[in-house]
Amino acid sequence: MKRIITVTAGLTIGALALAGCSGGGSEGDGVAEDGSLTLTLSAWSVATTPEFQLLADAFHEKNPNVTVEVKDYDPAEYNTLLTTDLAAGKGPDIITQKEVKFLTTFQEGGQLLDVSDVELPEGIGGADSYKVDGTAYATPYRQDSWVLFYNKDLFEQAGVEAPDGSWTWEDYDAAAEELTSKLDGAKGTYEHGWQSTLQGFANAQNGADVLAGEYDYMKPFYERVLKLQEDGAQESFNTVTANQLTYQGEFGKQKAAMMPMGTWFVATLISQQASGDADDFEWGIAPAPQLDESTTGTDAVPVTFGDPTGFGINANINDDKVEAAKEFLAFAASEEAATALAEIGITPALLTDPVIDAYFGSEGAPQDELSTFAVQTHETRPENPASNKTAAVQNILNDMHSAILSESASVDDAIAEAEGRVATEVG
Amino acid sequence: MTTTATPQRARRRRSRLRMRNTLLGWSFILPNFLGFATLTLVPVIVLFYMSLTNWNIFGSSQFVGFDNFVRLVNDGSFRTSFVNTLYYSVMHIPLTIVVSLGLALLLNNKLRGVAFFRTAAFFPYITSIVAIALVWNLLFSPDYGPINEMLRFIGISNPPGWLTSANWSMPAVVIISTWRDMGYYMVLFLAALQTVPRELHEAARMDGANVFERFWNVTLPSLRPTMFFVTVMLTINSFKIFDLILVLTNGGPGQSTMVISQFIYRKGFEENNFGYASAASVVLFLLCIIVTIVQFLWNQRKSAR
Repeated sequence: MKRIITVTAGLTIGALALAGCSGGGSEGDGVAEDGSLTLTLSAWSVATTPEFQLLADAFHEKNPNVTVEVKDYDPAEYNTLLTTDLAAGKGPDIITQKEVKFLTTFQEGGQLLDVSDVELPEGIGGADSYKVDGTAYATPYRQDSWVLFYNKDLFEQAGVEAPDGSWTWEDYDAAAEELTSKLDGAKGTYEHGWQSTLQGFANAQNGADVLAGEYDYMKPFYERVLKLQEDGAQESFNTVTANQLTYQGEFGKQKAAMMPMGTWFVATLISQQASGDADDFEWGIAPAPQLDESTTGTDAVPVTFGDPTGFGINANINDDKVEAAKEFLAFAASEEAATALAEIGITPALLTDPVIDAYFGSEGAPQDELSTFAVQTHETRPENPASNKTAAVQNILNDMHSAILSESASVDDAIAEAEGRVATEVG
Repeated sequence: MTTTATPQRARRRRSRLRMRNTLLGWSFILPNFLGFATLTLVPVIVLFYMSLTNWNIFGSSQFVGFDNFVRLVNDGSFRTSFVNTLYYSVMHIPLTIVVSLGLALLLNNKLRGVAFFRTAAFFPYITSIVAIALVWNLLFSPDYGPINEMLRFIGISNPPGWLTSANWSMPAVVIISTWRDMGYYMVLFLAALQTVPRELHEAARMDGANVFERFWNVTLPSLRPTMFFVTVMLTINSFKIFDLILVLTNGGPGQSTMVISQFIYRKGFEENNFGYASAASVVLFLLCIIVTIVQFLWNQRKSAR
């Protein structure tokens, strides 16, 4: 009996040892004898997100000896699955950065190659989001930023003056109230329940460092939105969460005349209007309302926020493939790739005139000058700084967001609590 | 061959036989045990080690001793989620026992269509949790939900905000989880009720005991083994509550429905502090095991009486 126990214990320890040592090295080397290469690229929802295949095909056309193979991941669990693959040594050669806040996890884990020597075109947005202590660990190809969508038909119907690029938040509030009172059934505006919808603007326009742990500057923003909720000028946060309202439905079905949202919604709205999922109405894009008049008007540069999407290179990549991978990064950021992306409704990180022309060239896109201005001209500050504290701080701020807007806590109490938590819990 | 076996030999043969039987028995459980060992036992042992490190998934980890546990004690969010977990359990366990036992007693009667009602009561348990969350969120919707419409109709002018109010979110979660779990525990109680000896009831009736006295003095004591099992399972499941809260409220509003499991999920999978999350898991594990041992001892004392 005793012996059996010893044997079993031995077996268990053996199993432990086996489980302990996970395999290293990457999957195949992808280099053929004739010099042709295969680069793998992580992506999500490839069937409905055509940008990856588009970039892969275009790159292959330019460099026939390099094939880019797109690896599909589940979008909801993208970072978890990718992390697991990387930890097991089975990660892709090119690591797509879906969310900026995960960059430092990969970088600190030694998974990302220094890509500071990849040349980027001048004026590209979002590159700084990928820099840690001055070293770039990824390069952007896409950057959505937040703008104000508005329904021209509803503005006309209510007889309210449409946005002209000169709005501060007070102008926006006044318009929302006026629209609500003059429209039958539709609300003045719709703010989705995400923390970004409010905190993103508060952080960017106050030039605040979200990691600094002081959030008093958010107070006026919350007070404004609470007032709009109370007056019925926008749907209440509680109804938004309880009824799980979608922003596509609220704006697309004309339940609200305005909506602050990211530029990714442009492509969605165009396709939903074409398919009939959204009503048929005239709409436009205006710059996000500003904190004060110093950044309003079409001769100034409005301040907004957004995070880029970019590509990094696996630190364990085969040496023979590094050059090709860097070329791919440079290509994805180039004007040529940006134009191709713009044609399918993606907002590229590089917004030169030809790119903007391609962006607004598709059928159903707004054609007015203000929309072009709003998409092309802005100072987009990063929503999530590249730091290993970002995820924890944003979680705390998200709790604060739901506490205030559900009216479970007063603005002052909730802000004080969040400040206390950031000070004691984020290490 | 062994016609003249010495006692020593016989003993050896007997011990060999016992060994053979043991090995045979173990070989039967081996397939299951292998699965258990690789998927549960080894990860759990690794978890205990990880709780003493500051591992962030990539590369090597540093051994930090009990630093994670010290940090847990001083972490306000962990305290909040600990208290919330207890708050949830204290409401959920008795309520579920009362409701499921009541249902079982009701459906233990001979009545027309009893199979249908039993099935209906079991239905929530097999419904997808995401669907449950979606529908209950709509039902509890503060301004347009049918529940508050009804409350307003009967004259409550200011009904609670349910899942959107910090004070009412936990009670609302308890109502939903009780509704979901009651069918499962009802089935357990139903099975146990079938085993209550009829003679005891008859004897009690002869002695003039009324319905409540018979329930209290005959039915309940006969149900004790089941009651013990149900209480233990309910306690462990209450401490581990996660999925329902994640999809219903995601811990909000504020931190009002944040529980230990969600704390672990956040620290581990959202913030990549796997060492710290493991430490919180160890605390949850100890909490479960301590409460179970206490219940076990209590049950033993009762059955000894």
